[in-house]
Amino acid sequence: MDHLQRYREIVPDFDGFLSILDRPLPASVRINTLKTSKSSLLDRLDRSGVAYTCLNWYPLGLRLSVQRPGKMTEHLLGHIHIQEEVSMVPPIVLDPRPGDRVLDLCAAPGSKTTQISQETENRGLVIANEPSLARITSLRSNCERLGAINVAITRYDGRRFPHQQFDRVLVDAPCSSEGMARKDPKVLERCSLKRSLDLQVLQIELLKRAVQLTRSGGVIVYSTCTYAPEENEAVVDNVLGEYRDRGTVCLEATSVPGLKGSPGLTEWNGKEFCDELKHTARYYPHQNDTGGFFVAKLVKK
Amino acid sequence: MSPSLSRNRTAFEPEDRSRVAGLWQERFGIPAQVFDSFSFYRRAQNVWAFSDTALPKLSYEAIGLRMMNFKEEPWKPTSCALQVFGRHATKNAVHLNREQSGIFFAGKSQVLEANIEPGYVVVFYNGDVLGCGLYSHGKLISQLPKERRISGDAEMDI
Repeated sequence: MDHLQRYREIVPDFDGFLSILDRPLPASVRINTLKTSKSSLLDRLDRSGVAYTCLNWYPLGLRLSVQRPGKMTEHLLGHIHIQEEVSMVPPIVLDPRPGDRVLDLCAAPGSKTTQISQETENRGLVIANEPSLARITSLRSNCERLGAINVAITRYDGRRFPHQQFDRVLVDAPCSSEGMARKDPKVLERCSLKRSLDLQVLQIELLKRAVQLTRSGGVIVYSTCTYAPEENEAVVDNVLGEYRDRGTVCLEATSVPGLKGSPGLTEWNGKEFCDELKHTARYYPHQNDTGGFFVAKLVKK
Repeated sequence: MSPSLSRNRTAFEPEDRSRVAGLWQERFGIPAQVFDSFSFYRRAQNVWAFSDTALPKLSYEAIGLRMMNFKEEPWKPTSCALQVFGRHATKNAVHLNREQSGIFFAGKSQVLEANIEPGYVVVFYNGDVLGCGLYSHGKLISQLPKERRISGDAEMDI
């Protein structure tokens, strides 16, 4: 927890933030419309007496009153996918359409990949890239269980993904995962400024490559589940800086109606970021009773 | 292993749609047009089903979902493919009751009287396809992969 003290000045209601970290996350799932419909799924839950609450900011997100949703028949059938609520945000911001060519550069275990596939209604192409062979197993398993049939899986180093042009690219980057502390408090033990700065090098290269792989007029979403500005605003600021002279990449407002968030930082530890960074979004656990996330939406002109 | 061999091992080749559709029609009575909006690829002994979309030239680990394998005779459909295509089956399908479906979910075998041919069958419960079963000598043997059994565990995924 000591590590989080560095965020005292930037997190609104810092004490509320710290106190919610001791509480477990609510069980949340996404309804998979590739295999069922919202009304059929809710009918099933009603018949089996499972209480649920619909998220007010995403019609396909549900909180369930069950301890282990992974044991439910609906999970085996691929009608639901267990997914932390705020992890549903990046694909919403990416907003893929049926027929789009989409790249998910850091895909495993595939929660966001399959959400993208569902948004494209299995039409178009979703390339799910994952460099780790071990993590491809879970990625494949989730795609198959959920019936995401327009997903093809590759295993490149994302920094050197072969040249292609995509309509939309998601970079859900490897990060220090501070925002997952409610799920696993041990993540904080591994966090340090040095670790964030090491990750930043990789994150900048991944985001740069993503911009190169996006067609003119396309969208890039950069997200992490961490609070460290070194891994968030500093990464986006660096990549924007590469294109500043040409003015070919800009930030668009990241907001999901009904979901509370804070604007991205324009200054951290004496370093100023481009003013546009206020268009990015930070989601803190105590704002919506979720995990933590950072999301930025870049548009290539 | 030489690099070229390694590449060959992972190369996907287009597979003829009518051949796949013919096999599924013959075994399960699924109309060929169910497969019209899909393309098929083969790698080694496996056939994969994919949305009918052009694929860029990349090296792939997986394309869509694994549909069937030809490792042994007869060919075997995967549970995930049956969950997608199996609801159109008009033969070699069994409908389980609640108790029987529990045995199937647990990955076990059970004695079952059914008017079906021996071999792989589509297993239904309550209108949903659960997956693939093997019917042999009056027994239904669950073919659900371990990670799909209900006794398995699932982690919260972020």
